[in-house]
Amino acid sequence: MTAAEKEVPAPRPMNEGRARIRRLLRSGRVLVGGGIVLVIVICALFAPLLAPQDPNNQDLLAQLLPPAWSADGVPEHPLGTDNLGRDTLSRLIYSTRVAVLVAVTASLGAMLLGTTLALVAGYFGGLIDWLVSRAVELWLSFPPVVLSLILIVGFGVGLGNVILAIILVDWTRFCRVVRSEVLVVRRQDYVDAARLAGFSHFRTLWSEVLPAVGPLVLTLLSLEMGIAVIVEAILSFVGMSVESTVPAWGVMIADARKDMFQSIWGMALPIMAIIITVLGFNLLGDGLRRALDPKLRQREIQ
Amino acid sequence: MNGGIFGVIAKRIIVALPIVLLASILVFVVLRLLPADPVAMSVPPNATRDEVEALRRALGLHLPIHEQYWIWLTKIATGTLGNSITYAQPVFRLIGQSLPATIELVVVAAVFATVIGLAGGLVMHRLQGRAGEQAADVASTLIMSVPEFLWAIFFILLFGVALNWLPFSGRLDPGVSVPHTTGFLLLDCLIAGRPGAFVNALEHMLLPALALAFGTAPLLMRVLRSSLMEVAQEDYVTMARLRGLNERQILLRHSFKNAFLPTLTLMGVQFSFLFGGTLLVEVIYGYPGIGNMMVEAVRNTDLPIIQGVALVYAFAVLVINLAVDVLVLLLNPKLRVRR
Amino acid sequence: MTRHDMTALLEAKGIVVEAPAGSARVAVLRDLDLALKPASVLGLVGESGAGKSMVGRLIGGILPAGFTVASGSLTFAGRDLLGIATAERQALLGRDIGFIPQQPMTSLNPVRSVGSLFDEHLAKLGVAGRAERRAQAVAALASVQLPDPASLLGRYAHELSGGMCQRVLIAMAFASRPKLLVADEPTTALDVITQARIMALLADLCRKLGTAVLFVTHDLRLAAQVCDEIAVMYAGEVVEQAPARTLLSAPRHPYTQALRNCSPSLDGALLRLVSLPEHMPGLRALADIGGCRFAPRCPISDESCVAAPPPLVETSPGHWVRAAGKCLAAAGLARGEAPHGKGGDGGGLILEADKLSKTFVLRDPLLWWKKRRVDAVKNISFRLRAGEFLGIVGQSGSGKSTLARLLLGLEVASAGRIVLDGSDVTGRFSAHAARRVEAIQMIFQDPQSALNPRRRVASIVTQPMEAGTSPWNARLERAKTLLAETGLAPELAERYPSQLSGGQRQRVNIARSLCNTPRVLVADEIVSGLDVSIQAQILNLLADLRRQHDVALVLISHDLSVVRYLCDRVIVMYRGEAVEEGDTDTVFRSPRHWYTKALMAAVPPDDVHHVWDPHTASSASAPLEPAAET
Repeated sequence: MTAAEKEVPAPRPMNEGRARIRRLLRSGRVLVGGGIVLVIVICALFAPLLAPQDPNNQDLLAQLLPPAWSADGVPEHPLGTDNLGRDTLSRLIYSTRVAVLVAVTASLGAMLLGTTLALVAGYFGGLIDWLVSRAVELWLSFPPVVLSLILIVGFGVGLGNVILAIILVDWTRFCRVVRSEVLVVRRQDYVDAARLAGFSHFRTLWSEVLPAVGPLVLTLLSLEMGIAVIVEAILSFVGMSVESTVPAWGVMIADARKDMFQSIWGMALPIMAIIITVLGFNLLGDGLRRALDPKLRQREIQ
Repeated sequence: MNGGIFGVIAKRIIVALPIVLLASILVFVVLRLLPADPVAMSVPPNATRDEVEALRRALGLHLPIHEQYWIWLTKIATGTLGNSITYAQPVFRLIGQSLPATIELVVVAAVFATVIGLAGGLVMHRLQGRAGEQAADVASTLIMSVPEFLWAIFFILLFGVALNWLPFSGRLDPGVSVPHTTGFLLLDCLIAGRPGAFVNALEHMLLPALALAFGTAPLLMRVLRSSLMEVAQEDYVTMARLRGLNERQILLRHSFKNAFLPTLTLMGVQFSFLFGGTLLVEVIYGYPGIGNMMVEAVRNTDLPIIQGVALVYAFAVLVINLAVDVLVLLLNPKLRVRR
Repeated sequence: MTRHDMTALLEAKGIVVEAPAGSARVAVLRDLDLALKPASVLGLVGESGAGKSMVGRLIGGILPAGFTVASGSLTFAGRDLLGIATAERQALLGRDIGFIPQQPMTSLNPVRSVGSLFDEHLAKLGVAGRAERRAQAVAALASVQLPDPASLLGRYAHELSGGMCQRVLIAMAFASRPKLLVADEPTTALDVITQARIMALLADLCRKLGTAVLFVTHDLRLAAQVCDEIAVMYAGEVVEQAPARTLLSAPRHPYTQALRNCSPSLDGALLRLVSLPEHMPGLRALADIGGCRFAPRCPISDESCVAAPPPLVETSPGHWVRAAGKCLAAAGLARGEAPHGKGGDGGGLILEADKLSKTFVLRDPLLWWKKRRVDAVKNISFRLRAGEFLGIVGQSGSGKSTLARLLLGLEVASAGRIVLDGSDVTGRFSAHAARRVEAIQMIFQDPQSALNPRRRVASIVTQPMEAGTSPWNARLERAKTLLAETGLAPELAERYPSQLSGGQRQRVNIARSLCNTPRVLVADEIVSGLDVSIQAQILNLLADLRRQHDVALVLISHDLSVVRYLCDRVIVMYRGEAVEEGDTDTVFRSPRHWYTKALMAAVPPDDVHHVWDPHTASSASAPLEPAAET
């Protein structure tokens, strides 16, 4: 091997991981979406400090007050009150606790269940893949809302059951998408190369396949958090989620619906809260997908 | 070629039937996990223990699960889904009264969603690389963040209460009645020759259908647009350009059909979600469909209705998936089996 | 400069095309002068990235986004092609100018039938009436020797083989009797025998209709046989242009000489390939090169080369070379002197395959009881000694990749035995994993998919050590040793695969396979996607590794000249079976089976004075290629 045939190295490159994080932070979507999510989480964590009043404090003399900036509003209730005189702003803030709890636990649970099954099914193929695919088909033969409703009837009402129901319904969302990605990765030669290097199946899955689907799972996780918030809102709207003493946006909407003509603020505000929260998760998920998907980036460069 | 299509349809149906069967088992088992006692909820509070027991025996709830399931299954085969606990009427009849309303609503919503979705996708594709693209992208993310039931409420607040343009309750104005022929109100109005009632029925359907459509259309837009983008990079599009075809010809005759196929598959999945959306939308608009009935049955723990309607949903999803599969088969020559 | 003939059909003068590279703009085509006379064939030869496809894109008006024509003119039959209005260009394309693409199977719209595509094309050409268009379509398909043209109209791209798709595209291009045909690597994606057939067809049609052809290819020998004139391109410039035969027999530019010297030949003397270091500069690298773009790799370059780009000089009538005086005065790049000796006399028996067979059972995804059997490998047997190189030659679909996977244990054989270093290792991989991992390794074909993009190079090449207890330092050291053995700088150990070139990645691939010092390597088409100069580097690397490590190699390739260069013995596979085997020289010099004969005849020869007629090559008794498998 002559000196002329040796390859000459280029200047020192940047760490791949750090480059990724930098890309993420430059994405407008990630920043805005992440910002919204951060605000919601802070509200949830510090609700007692942020809320002006106790959310269950009824004041029958101050029912259905409009927000402070309109004619009949009062400064103690910045966003008005509901039909039992409870402060809307405090209820909104306390509801973030339910939203965040559901978003985090339900989506993590669905992710764990769905991704594990997807990895196993896509990697091993054969009978396992067939069984998992049939199970997903079976689950998807119902509209998800209908299935969650049926599960709640079976388990009984309550927030814990709502979380369980979401996990048991939405794992299919993860499983389907991740499985197709696993199938693509499985066809890559480096997976075979790992086996030839003496890796066990588990090791190969852990060190070669899982990192490859990681970005996709992260994106799906963010989107799933938005979906979990919506499903919880639907269930609390029909009264099958939290107890009446716990404030939640769906409950607020259902309550305010009776007095819709007198005060639209009671409905409009929790609606906006849900929309903003879900928007935050969706933007974050969208931004993550764009930042981490190499094909998409290539197109955007051109 | 036609023989091949029927063969594939038959194959799909054969494979789908066990799934529906399994689905019914799933529903049955889940509902029997009930912590509360459905019987106790449907008798007057001062009933004696014996009366409750008698009712339980009458409903067959004392038997083990698999026997209950078998009885239910055989009853279906003989054409009955049992009687509703709340209304004491055959479930079949109750479903028959409400199903047409939901189907009508879903069909109109699907038409809206398809038109909005496809048109929007084409527009977003045209905007590619120009100033409006980012704005359209963020707008579609925003629209996607709003679930159907919130659109439903929002439309009531805006078009119903604030602007008072459209009605938002029931299928017809009170006082307007149309003889019941098919149960599909629009058809019935046409059959009875009542154009005024037809318009009225359409007005009542507009907001709920639009709410359902808004829940689906943004995703369709996005998928169509990204499919179009992918197709634009393909070799055959370049070749068409090198043969001297202009951009419009390329878009319509080469790009669109190829991009439409993945969108079509997605539409099938989304329309089954559309069915699920009818649940809350019907409740919010007081629309007498099976969604409304389902929610009420859940509140009253009326098991026969819940089971029956769940089966109906499973069938509906099956039919939609089948229809989409057939359409895809017709449009995608790669899937056809050549003799 | 009086190069330009007044009767030229297509004329390019001083074209400069620029593209963005970071914040600067770089000339991807520089100082391009071409003249194509009517009814003649001009070849554009170069490796990937040389800019040869760019010329075709210019003509078609489909430059990639961000690429602009900075200066120069391009005229076709006197009309300006650069400033032409879109509608006028669309009138020209498909009528007077035809295109033949590189990937025939994806160049036909998959959801439209051949007939519908033809109908659209003929309608655009102005043929009125459905029936008339149909009749013309049938006639066109018949003219390209497609069987049963009428029924072909109802077929779709996925039902046709690559060769048939290409014929359809050729039929469409020639339907309007074009004056100019741009053929961009039209046979690269096809197997060797089909390649000869398509070339014969193209030659016939062009001669009959008097079409001028711009023939873009990377294969210098093929171009020398079919073109009248050849222009060799490197990094966006024409470095040499001459009549075809002269160019191949007496090239003057160092790059052309290197191209000739680093392609292994099928019939010439067996000389060691002389490879160029590194690779062609990419877009960013071009920005930093002033002066001659070939200088960084040129063996006779010095400081004067970096100063200014050399001009195009006419060394003899019709023969133009872009070189400074001293380059022309130099003796020229020598061909590999040392007769390239092949491996040692072989040691003991390392690997034995005994009647290996593999049958795949394909099941319907929904109705799992419906099966279809595919015999991928039938009864293959061979014996491999230490230090011996065995070549397995076959086209796609011959079962060679399945054979490779069988040897490594990635697939389980349906019948037969594999004996590795004395022990029987037939059966599931996990049963014999320990023994296999130490003894036999694979060099994968596609470096893009063979290297995990999330692992650093050091981690990749020492992957077999991961299961053990070696600390990272020990692994890093071992990685650097392995990299040095394969000719890579040790600093590359810290990089990620995306930061390496194609040739570097392939070397990392090889380095990884050496980590456990295996006795046998299986290389599945490892040079097929590489440029000739990189290919030569890899082939020489393998030959050197054999000398240093005494490792045996099973080299699988569709390229006979590569197999001839490295291997002592060869097995020719056709549809899963071994149709001929034996000592490489014997088999290639006097083949016995009709398939081997057809393969040999289909490869353009090294010696230009040996006239290669694609017709005789393609009329060999091989049957027409079967329709594509579903």
